[in-house]
Amino acid sequence: MEKMDRRDFLKRVGAGALVTGAGALGSGVMVPTGLWAQAPKIKGPIKVGYQAVLSGTLAGYGEFHKMGAQLAVEEINQKGGIAGVKVEIEFRDSTMKPDDAIKNARYFVDSWGADYLAGVDSSGQALALAPIMDKLDRVLMVTHAATEKLTEEWVFKKGIKQIFRMVNSTYHDSNAAAFIAKDLPALKWATVSPKYEYGFTCWKLFQETLKKLKPGVSFPAESWAPAGTTDFRSHINTIMDANPDGLYSTEWAGELITFLKQAKQAGLFDKVKHVMLPVGAAMDVLEGMGAEMPDNLWISGRYFFLYPNNKDNNDWVARFRKRWNHYPAYVSEAGYSAIYALKAAVEKSGSKETKALIQTLEGMELDTPAGRRLFRKEDHQAMYDVPWGKTKGDPKYPFKIMGESKVIPAKSYFSRPPFEGPGADPPFSS
Amino acid sequence: MKLKSWQMALVVLSLLALVGVGLFSGRFMIYLAMRVMILAIFALGYNLLLGQTGLLSFGHGAFYAAGAYGLGFFGLHLSSHPLLGLLAAVVLAAVLALIIGFFCVRHTEIYFAMLTLAFGMMVFSLLWSAREVTGGDDGLVGIMRDPVSFFGLLEIPIGKDRQYYFLVLAVFVLSAWAVQRIRLSPLGLALSGIRENANRAEFAGLSVKNYRLAVFVISGAFAGLAGGLETLLESNARPFMAHWGHSAEPILVSLLGGLQTFAGPLAGSVIFIAMREMVQRFTENWMLWFGIVLLVIIMGFRGGVVGVFQRLIGQAGGGR
Repeated sequence: MEKMDRRDFLKRVGAGALVTGAGALGSGVMVPTGLWAQAPKIKGPIKVGYQAVLSGTLAGYGEFHKMGAQLAVEEINQKGGIAGVKVEIEFRDSTMKPDDAIKNARYFVDSWGADYLAGVDSSGQALALAPIMDKLDRVLMVTHAATEKLTEEWVFKKGIKQIFRMVNSTYHDSNAAAFIAKDLPALKWATVSPKYEYGFTCWKLFQETLKKLKPGVSFPAESWAPAGTTDFRSHINTIMDANPDGLYSTEWAGELITFLKQAKQAGLFDKVKHVMLPVGAAMDVLEGMGAEMPDNLWISGRYFFLYPNNKDNNDWVARFRKRWNHYPAYVSEAGYSAIYALKAAVEKSGSKETKALIQTLEGMELDTPAGRRLFRKEDHQAMYDVPWGKTKGDPKYPFKIMGESKVIPAKSYFSRPPFEGPGADPPFSS
Repeated sequence: MKLKSWQMALVVLSLLALVGVGLFSGRFMIYLAMRVMILAIFALGYNLLLGQTGLLSFGHGAFYAAGAYGLGFFGLHLSSHPLLGLLAAVVLAAVLALIIGFFCVRHTEIYFAMLTLAFGMMVFSLLWSAREVTGGDDGLVGIMRDPVSFFGLLEIPIGKDRQYYFLVLAVFVLSAWAVQRIRLSPLGLALSGIRENANRAEFAGLSVKNYRLAVFVISGAFAGLAGGLETLLESNARPFMAHWGHSAEPILVSLLGGLQTFAGPLAGSVIFIAMREMVQRFTENWMLWFGIVLLVIIMGFRGGVVGVFQRLIGQAGGGR
């Protein structure tokens, strides 16, 4: 073996370090600027653990989550990272099961060393994660699960401050729908909705709010389709027999497509003139239905790629299309914005510690493709506006888009802290 | 059967390793070890029915869920004492197993399997639909781990995962010991006899139906215990615990490890959870690869991993 004295050794190590250093500089953009250049307090990399459903019938949703979050990480790292520190992201399949969601979160924090968690599709998963989030003590940015209980019971009442939600909750799907429905010439409303908490909650809120806004409405029929329903004929018949003026349905994803196709065949849309689909503006539904989508259905989502029609959003959609050759789904926008929320919070607070991030995120305003979001201080719910619109064909797109649309301001239909007693639920006087 | 010296050594070593994990490992390792032990309790009890008695049930998730919801309701409405909660879990699961078992044990083979599947899914849809009571698909959430108190004289906190680990470990060791005692008891021998030839057992004067019902209830009680422990660990109970997909887990685990052995379900649980964790680190398409790995093990190791291991030892030692 070759002998090596100390001086030799140092020379070699020194040369190695020089080469590595040059390499790092060679990549150019890694030079820190601004405030954090003087005091690099943050030890990198900043690690993001993202979980979304990547298997089963909803796997497409997970892929769209991934595209959004991945694009944000790529953009940020290309421009030098967050506060000069690189962002790393790892994705895990959440499988829609609460126990898997818990295991993923624990893996991310306790084994992989994540600084920030994001994702989560189902309400059951979000509620199961809530009680362990203060033990794991990382910010969890929920980008899909919609249950209002998450932010009201767990964040506001039980004080699990680690949880934030980037997207609209059930209120958009129910209360905002009621604000639209009150102006429609329809008094009798019926529903075909999924037979689980999300479906029940939305229908209940829709009825309560609509009754307040428009006395005299009635709700003659409701039909609950269990998860995995492929034959909606009995549900469609129930609705047609009740002969309502309006149909409200929180079916979503593949089941909504199946439902719409079968309803069209049965002539439901000829009989029922006013149809509201709170998750109808999801890209998988619009692309899945293509030209078959009936016109003049009211649809919405957590984000629609043509709103707001401004430079920020349009540029983003173009970048997204260039990178992935898809139009962004609402979960893509949420995944993308979740990473930028982390960036904003870290750079503003100068730290990646959970406590500092929570303090900064509370009440923070953030410009995102969907527009300006405000994280409500009390319940950590992001407030931003998403339009409701009527389906319409457009030669520019191979699917239907929103034609005539309405924007109801989020603060006028989201329940307000303290979430009980008079004045907590819409409509509000101011 | 007395334990051979190498078996004794293995038991002692495993126990030391488990205590070591609790004392020195990181939080995630501790969590995984708890999941392994809980699955092992589920599978050990289950294998009394499958391996020992030769009855294939596709409905044991129902008893797991009974334990989980039993502990949940008990904790939310009556007392949050964890040991009392676990007792409630076991009792509720055993009672449910007694009722369902009463209708099932008069049948065997595919008829038995299908009946248990049907009852299991009934429990699942009941938990799913009775949303006022069970919380529907959201399940029961927010079940907390209060300290284990002994008549107010002594309080042992289990709120932290590391503390709870030792409770799980204690319950696991007790369960394993109990299952082994049952296997070696006259009851266990009678069950083996029923597995080998039910007619003969009947002619020998055994009440086959009662024996089957007894083992059904015992395995259901262990499932309930596992469900209770998981609910304390994850602080929630959910309808999918009763789903047949979950009922299949102890079957897979027993097959992996070896149906005819005591240690089979234990080894199977370790492999099942560790393998999945490893596969998930390499690929997001983990379900496919995990499935392939399981297939290879189940088809490649006839009689399970433990079975093959025992045969090898037997050959090396010139047979037993």
